[in-house]
Amino acid sequence: MNFFKRQWMVPYLFLAPALIGTIAFKLYPIFIGFWESLIYTSFSGGAEKRIFVWFENYQYLFDDKIFWKSLEITAFLTIIINPLQIAMSLGLALLLMRKSKFIRIIRSLYLLPIGIALPIATIIWGLMLDPNQGLINGLIGVFGIPPQPFLVNENQALWCIIAIATWKGVAFWMLFLLAGLEDIPKQYYEAAEIDGATPFQKFRYVTIPQLKRTILFVFVADTAANFVLMVPMIILTKGGPLQSTNVLIYEGYRSGFYYQDWGRSLSIITILTVITLIVIGLQLLFLSEKNEGIKVK
Amino acid sequence: MKKILASLCTIFLFSNIVTSAKAEINFLIGTWAEEPLTPFVEAFEKETGIEVNIQTFPFRDLLATIEVRGNAQADDVDVIFVDAPLVPSYAVRGMIGPMDQYFADTSVNAIFAPAGIAAASWNGEMYAPPLNNSGQLTYYNKDLLAKAGCAEPSMIEAERVTWEEIVDCAKKITDEANGVHGFIFDQISRYYQLQALPESAGGGSGVCEGGLSVKGCLTNDGWMKAGQFYYDIHNTSNISPKGVGPDQTHELFGLGKIGIFVGGSWNNGRWADTDLNYGVALHPYFEGGKVVTGCNSWHIGVWNYSKQKDDAAKLVRYLTASPEVAIHYVEEHNSLPAHNSAILHVAEDPKFNNFPGIVMNLATYESANHCATRGRTPGFLEFEEIVNTSFEDIRNGGDPASVLADAESRIESSMRRYK
Repeated sequence: MNFFKRQWMVPYLFLAPALIGTIAFKLYPIFIGFWESLIYTSFSGGAEKRIFVWFENYQYLFDDKIFWKSLEITAFLTIIINPLQIAMSLGLALLLMRKSKFIRIIRSLYLLPIGIALPIATIIWGLMLDPNQGLINGLIGVFGIPPQPFLVNENQALWCIIAIATWKGVAFWMLFLLAGLEDIPKQYYEAAEIDGATPFQKFRYVTIPQLKRTILFVFVADTAANFVLMVPMIILTKGGPLQSTNVLIYEGYRSGFYYQDWGRSLSIITILTVITLIVIGLQLLFLSEKNEGIKVK
Repeated sequence: MKKILASLCTIFLFSNIVTSAKAEINFLIGTWAEEPLTPFVEAFEKETGIEVNIQTFPFRDLLATIEVRGNAQADDVDVIFVDAPLVPSYAVRGMIGPMDQYFADTSVNAIFAPAGIAAASWNGEMYAPPLNNSGQLTYYNKDLLAKAGCAEPSMIEAERVTWEEIVDCAKKITDEANGVHGFIFDQISRYYQLQALPESAGGGSGVCEGGLSVKGCLTNDGWMKAGQFYYDIHNTSNISPKGVGPDQTHELFGLGKIGIFVGGSWNNGRWADTDLNYGVALHPYFEGGKVVTGCNSWHIGVWNYSKQKDDAAKLVRYLTASPEVAIHYVEEHNSLPAHNSAILHVAEDPKFNNFPGIVMNLATYESANHCATRGRTPGFLEFEEIVNTSFEDIRNGGDPASVLADAESRIESSMRRYK
């Protein structure tokens, strides 16, 4: 009992399970990954040798065209997919806030993609985007649009993956934003209406500031999720055509599991981890609410 | 209550001791082999009292699982399926062990065909005996060829069809508006299937002498010709459809949507229940070039980290050296034999002289006379993956010269680990 009397320990006690989980399943693997990225495995002479090479694996990467192309695609994907998903989630959340007799049914319909596992959704989309017998080409054909190659075309494949991931992800992120919107006190909108605010002004001056914390959370979580998006690449494109969907996480996966080059693989994953941390750090820096407490002179 | 619990615990512990006394080995195989092998595995269990736990995986997942288990040096695997060209890779990395001691009481030359032994060996030692072999042929839709006014390709060596003739005929058959294409490869964009193109054009396997480099061997004239050919059939003449995977090609041919299909002997049984009016002929070659076809298939090896190597080796020998297994594989699954008894069976049984059984005879002939063993290198895993991706890129419109140059540079870089 004396233990619980030491009140300063209580928060740590409550935090301990999560902290232990984070160390065991997040920080330790990151450390191991970094350590292994400094090791080069050679089979020279028919025997396996593990050689500590410092940053030589990274040096090789920086001279590797495939790595740079992969980095470029990851950057492009991140710049497009995150704002797109947040904007669509917010738009959808605002629409579903409207009062309607069928709102529960409509909300359930929009939430359906959450219930479908990403690999299954990817396979279904793959069938629909089949250039020869796919449903999508059949549909656009009705409007006189010629059949599109979709996933087998260098210029269309990444956009198809963005569409699939967005279809799957929007409803999930919308849930958080919907909860955030529900939390905004109605009086704020009433006050704005009395002041003669237009719908846009209400959105700009009431909704957005009140939703800022939720948006920040969704932005950070969505960014982290999209940096490790590779299920559609594994199932549909294998990083092609012509490396157009070869994001860093997939290149890292392929280096390790297909080519057995774990030094290269873990160097890529370490770089991706650092990039993710930097991007999330910047998001937190620019989007988090500033301390608005009273300054003491 | 305590007594009951104590009794239950004793029974539980005792049952575990009894169970663990029985030998059990884990066998990683491809999904396609589960059905043909299960009866023989069960017979093996009865005969030896060794329990075999079969774990099945699709092709790509099987290779990935073996890599992951090998990397972890896992001892919960005992026997694995080995793709023939991966024998050197697994042997060099110590994932499978030499098998010669388990065949010391017999002559392997008396059991297996020489090509199978060669594919099973590395540095003079046999690592993974062959389960079966493979052979490639030309299948054609008689109705589509007649409609287009094409002559049927021949089964006679002197009249062997050329790739140029295939393209000419396929152009006449192709009717994209109705989803009909003149030609398709069985294992589309896979090195196993497509190696015959650069080999026929004089480009070799893509792996240089010694197996530790590809410099200049993947960008020579033969490979460039092969790359251009593969590009043209998908992007210029459009005789072959894009966006179709290796699992769909035989279905398209079975549905009458393809004029000419170049693929393995195992496809023969796939169209037995259809109305398809088809014929079979020898594998094509480039006019003036070499006659070459894909060959070799699956082998079985003992996992080097296994704690039950002797029991594992018994299973390997039972499955690979038994004439019954080899003949069953031929009869039921149209799979080409690597076992001498089954090869003899194909040569002597008259049913293999007439269509459709003749497919086995022709494939055996192709494999015995025009087999191009896949590039022998310990880095085959990386080599094959990059070459497959490159063929797919060429198929999707990539410039063959730059795609192959990129592939060569990537493979050369990954080969440094073996030098």
